[in-house]
Amino acid sequence: MKLVIGGTAQGKLEYVLLKYDVQKNMVWNGVLPNEMELNENIVIINHFHQWIKSRMISGGCPEDEIMSFLDCHEDCIIICDEIGNGIVPIDAFEREYRERVGRILVQLAKRAEGVERIICGIGQKIK
Amino acid sequence: MMVLVVGGSGSGKSSYAEETAVSLAQESVKEIVMKKYYLATMQVFDEEGRKRVDRHRNLRRGKEFVTIEQPTGISGALKKMETGERTVLLECISNLTANEMFSGKKANTKMQVMEDIICGIKQLKEQTTHFIVVSNNVFEDGITYDETTTEYIHAMGMINHKLAALADWVVEVVAGIPIIIKNPAKRDFPRASGLRKQ
Repeated sequence: MKLVIGGTAQGKLEYVLLKYDVQKNMVWNGVLPNEMELNENIVIINHFHQWIKSRMISGGCPEDEIMSFLDCHEDCIIICDEIGNGIVPIDAFEREYRERVGRILVQLAKRAEGVERIICGIGQKIK
Repeated sequence: MMVLVVGGSGSGKSSYAEETAVSLAQESVKEIVMKKYYLATMQVFDEEGRKRVDRHRNLRRGKEFVTIEQPTGISGALKKMETGERTVLLECISNLTANEMFSGKKANTKMQVMEDIICGIKQLKEQTTHFIVVSNNVFEDGITYDETTTEYIHAMGMINHKLAALADWVVEVVAGIPIIIKNPAKRDFPRASGLRKQ
């Protein structure tokens, strides 16, 4: 698994599509594909932070769910916004959301074979 | 040696700062164990705060830090330490700044807060063997806040700026991975657990 992170609107998806020469139909926006929907080898999960939020709202456990997903799909590329670099929100859910996204990214970065951080469309390899 | 560790919410900055403190304390003294102090700045008001403190205590478990609660007047912690070689980890500047700014009857200005904190930091730097400071990146959410919060963000910006000038190393932690911002002596940084594969 490769992890691609960065601020919003930094060109993360474009960077990935160009670098890995993949088609847009392999991109999943804010969802994890189920087995039925998969017919390609490379899977790109875009807006991964939105998936975490939706799982939190549904009462799921994104920490465990993504790890189980990766056990079966170790080849995927995960693209996620960095959302933790701000004032701690007053709203309890927003506060928890930021912290969980941060901690999940720490776990994914440990597991990833490579981590890139995108700024102004340029990738900086940090692992 | 002074180290500044910055990062966002959930970035793994605390964990990295602790590893750095442990590693530096071991490096300098071969036979005697150097005393390690953890300066805690968070004031606990509710259950969430208690949980946060517990999480950090668990992270530090087994690393033999002596905890000193110092929510304001950070240099006051020096009186509570034993003399001699010591490694001190201060966590974190964002709480300390909020406490210094908003604990009194009247909010202090960003200039006063910055000067007070930097004065305390300089004393700690001079009187410790290794000093590790954790600060927060609160600058990139693109939200325009009220006057008070804006004053706080500017105070944090000025303080981080001064801390980085005082520090020998500056590290940003991103998804648990240390990114070196300042390292003029080109020293090897402690390996981060984020770089090890699970």
